[in-house]
Amino acid sequence: MATAHAGEKQEGARRRLSVERPDLIRGLVIAALLAIALLVLPATLGSDWIKTLTSVAIYSVVAAGLVVLYGRVGMISLGQIALLAIGTWTATRLSFATDLPFPVLILVTGAITCVIGVLIGLPALRLSGLYLALITLMAAGAVNVVLTTINFPNGGGGFTGRTDAPNLSGLKPVARPDVAGSDVAYYRYTVVVCALMFLLALVHFAAKPGRAWAVIRQSEPAALAGGVNITLYKLWAFALASFMTGVAGCLLAADVGAPTVYGFPNQDSLTMIATALIGGIYTLWGAVVAGIFMQLVPFIFQAEWHFNPNFLLIIFGVGLLQVLLTAPGGLADQLPKDLAKLGRLIARPFRKRSAESKESA
Amino acid sequence: MSSVVAFSVFGVDWVFLKPYIVLGLALGGVYALSGVGIVVLYKATGVLNLAFGAVGAAGALITYWMINHTSWPHWLAYTTCVAFGGAVNLLYGVLFGPAFAKRDPLVKMMGTLALALILLGLMAWRAPAGGAFVRVLTLPSTDHSYTVFGAVVNLTQILALAFAFVLTVVTTLFLRYTRLGTAYRAIADDREITSTLGVPVRRVEASAWLGSGLVCGAAGLLLADLYTSLDYSALTFLVISSLAAALIGRLRSLWVTMAGGLIVGLVQAILTPYSSVTQYRAAAPFVLSIVALLWLGRKRVVVFSPTTR
Repeated sequence: MATAHAGEKQEGARRRLSVERPDLIRGLVIAALLAIALLVLPATLGSDWIKTLTSVAIYSVVAAGLVVLYGRVGMISLGQIALLAIGTWTATRLSFATDLPFPVLILVTGAITCVIGVLIGLPALRLSGLYLALITLMAAGAVNVVLTTINFPNGGGGFTGRTDAPNLSGLKPVARPDVAGSDVAYYRYTVVVCALMFLLALVHFAAKPGRAWAVIRQSEPAALAGGVNITLYKLWAFALASFMTGVAGCLLAADVGAPTVYGFPNQDSLTMIATALIGGIYTLWGAVVAGIFMQLVPFIFQAEWHFNPNFLLIIFGVGLLQVLLTAPGGLADQLPKDLAKLGRLIARPFRKRSAESKESA
Repeated sequence: MSSVVAFSVFGVDWVFLKPYIVLGLALGGVYALSGVGIVVLYKATGVLNLAFGAVGAAGALITYWMINHTSWPHWLAYTTCVAFGGAVNLLYGVLFGPAFAKRDPLVKMMGTLALALILLGLMAWRAPAGGAFVRVLTLPSTDHSYTVFGAVVNLTQILALAFAFVLTVVTTLFLRYTRLGTAYRAIADDREITSTLGVPVRRVEASAWLGSGLVCGAAGLLLADLYTSLDYSALTFLVISSLAAALIGRLRSLWVTMAGGLIVGLVQAILTPYSSVTQYRAAAPFVLSIVALLWLGRKRVVVFSPTTR
């Protein structure tokens, strides 16, 4: 008993002292990818591509919100794009009304969106997950209606910040941060902020909320018996996802400059959750894949191949069915496994041959 | 004008509101019957069908195409819409129903979301909505109009309301008094035990899919007429109003669902003439559902969602 305890202690000490190898490799891979995203891509790609990659980064943060909600807690929100629109609207309004520095604007937008998101989710959180999904879908519809009516601010006065007879030449877009005026610089700025959002999510996963979410996802009765405040931690997850989405909305506002309601069609809320599931809802890598599916793939289809990107909806639908039925981990989980399998398959003849040659020798 | 005696109750001019009330009851009727279709399918199979609107919209588009681009008789086109709804739902139910049967209700719902996406993609691909081009689908029943309580009502509007009522009555009786209806209720309680009792669970579930699919096709047809234009995106998302009705009925009670649908339709339509809120009236399902949820959650009972698998 005593020796086992000592062994455990030793093991714990070793774990504290040294970074484990998989973690090290993962860290290096992330650093390398970030370096490529920040340094190599802007140097090699054209301006269209950089703009698209900016949206990829923004939408992957929205998808990361879904990873928190569904992947960690088991709640589905069908209204994340509507929440993104709320964030964008808030940022646009604040940008015209105040002279807040951009980082502060990001935080304030995130906070406001967080409050709105929580208010939407609050009535449903005590009921089963189905009700939350329904209420967020309806909220998405309602937000779309309201935004179609009041439209995005264009520099006017009043609450809506919209003037009906805008002097088009006098309109200025949403201000970007001073350090990131150009598209390329703003792309880098976005990637850094988005990386910080991913880090925020990771910190949550590793800390107390992450553990509480894990219990809730496994079994709510067990969580209740274990003294976890279910409503609080569900609300926390919803608040975190809304905050991240609000931040993404702020980044989007300054990226687009003059956002319109057409940028947030109703069906995007549905494709968002579909691509998040296809990308892989249980890891943040999946969120990146989802961002690519949401923004980069349609761009490639439309701009490069002149192909109607609506066709992608069908592929997303089929992909969603496949993910739900056979590969719940999505691409982020399945692709490495399949690649490893493929590698073994390719390696098999060689290995057999070397074994044979050894035998004959 | 002098013949119209304007009377007002609670400061509201009811004569002025009459046409909107008629429209609201008609739309509410379609929401109600869609809501009932959704609730029955949910009760029998545990699937909350998000593709309800998309299937109806696709059916209505096919009808539109048959009427405007072929010389086939019109009744065939209308029947096709209803049959299409039934066929698509049945196909989905038979192909994917069993695979999803033991999964979490959320996962089942996401499966129908996939169906909705596929249909949306097909519609956007094959029948894109382009600029000023508007598709209009008018049922022959719309040409017959009557005067009821001083308001002009057309036959389609009467049909929508009557259909909702009849469907609710028939479904309630069906669930209560027929063998198949009893099987539905048994499956809703426990699928496994029901199957050990010798009920052909898969066939019963398939029949639920078929039934709700037929309702779905009919709802699509009626909505395409009642709603000013056949816009597949709008029709797809009109599922939101039906879901609100289903939610008000707690995904359980058919009668409350029907009432919920009528209320959603009425509130939306009655707000139309008031310029300060008319633009926001489409948010009515959301607001009413929030109110319903607050009402449902008032007992502060902790409801566990089933374990995610």
